[in-house]
Amino acid sequence: MVHVEIAAEELFAIGPLIVTNSMVGALLASIVLLLAARWFTRRAAVVPSRGQSILELPIEFLAGIVRGTGGKRWRQFAPLIFAIFLFVLTANWLSLLPGVGTIGLWEGEGEHRILVPFVRAGAADLNFTLGLALISFVAFIAFGLRANGLRGYLKELLVSEPAYMTPLLTPIHLISELSRVISLSMRLFGNVFAGEVLLATMLALTTATLLVLPLAFVVPGVFIMLELLFGLVQALVFALLSMTYITLAIAEHRQHGSDDHHSGEAPEQGTAAANGAA
Amino acid sequence: MEPDQGDDRSRPPANWGVAFDLGLRLGISVILGVVGGLLADGWLRTSPIFTLIGMVLGIGAAMYTIWDVARQSMRR
Repeated sequence: MVHVEIAAEELFAIGPLIVTNSMVGALLASIVLLLAARWFTRRAAVVPSRGQSILELPIEFLAGIVRGTGGKRWRQFAPLIFAIFLFVLTANWLSLLPGVGTIGLWEGEGEHRILVPFVRAGAADLNFTLGLALISFVAFIAFGLRANGLRGYLKELLVSEPAYMTPLLTPIHLISELSRVISLSMRLFGNVFAGEVLLATMLALTTATLLVLPLAFVVPGVFIMLELLFGLVQALVFALLSMTYITLAIAEHRQHGSDDHHSGEAPEQGTAAANGAA
Repeated sequence: MEPDQGDDRSRPPANWGVAFDLGLRLGISVILGVVGGLLADGWLRTSPIFTLIGMVLGIGAAMYTIWDVARQSMRR
């Protein structure tokens, strides 16, 4: 019977801290990234080798996007966007390795006997995706505050034009802002969790009888290839949306500021970039 | 190195994100409004007044989201 638990399973507890198998997955992704960064900084050369060029490909790809759409201030938030992209990508792809989600301990009795894997996809736990979305949200607010100051930011968020519409429009604006966090977290969680369920279902279907057993060597492989693609797309979408929100926060506020003060400044590239992104 | 702003190849799929985002945010806005209204009603024992208000605000927030994204696109 196919069984994929929606909540991450508890492995052990260190005092009040409960360690789940998704946390182990996220921790492994962090370790892989740290080791890769250490290796890369020691071996990187100005004239890249073939291996270095291959490793630099995804970074160059994302750097091109961030440079092109991030406005003049792209260097300020590029490290955050790169970190989010690489972390989500590594966590997603690690979850497709053999043994992840399949090696663990059997718990329960009879029909309720289930396998609790030692490692599971980090993003298959809503806590992981919500945490990342909150980091992105805080960064988005921080860049908005930095670009416009506290007063300007609150004015943009809480005061509407015309002023008599403020009691109606402020809650609408707040709901719309909050929906960004939930949308970011739910999309990543939904896609990764659905991928886990899909792979488990395909494996169960193809190993159900001897007649279809040969398919077990082909069908899950096709879906794993698809999951590789989805992992990349979801990491890209999460990073791009975070960048879009930050760019919009900077560009929108600056534009309102220049409208208010009639400063006559030439429109910043960030405004055009944000518009392009939207 | 600064990018060549005239070269569209240097910024390929930035629009994907917003396209992925918009549909989900419409639904979430309505759900947020309704859940907020239900919680307020449960707390103040005024059911179903705040649920209805929350639903209207949620639908309004969904429309605002569409308008906001459309406004950004039209400025392009």
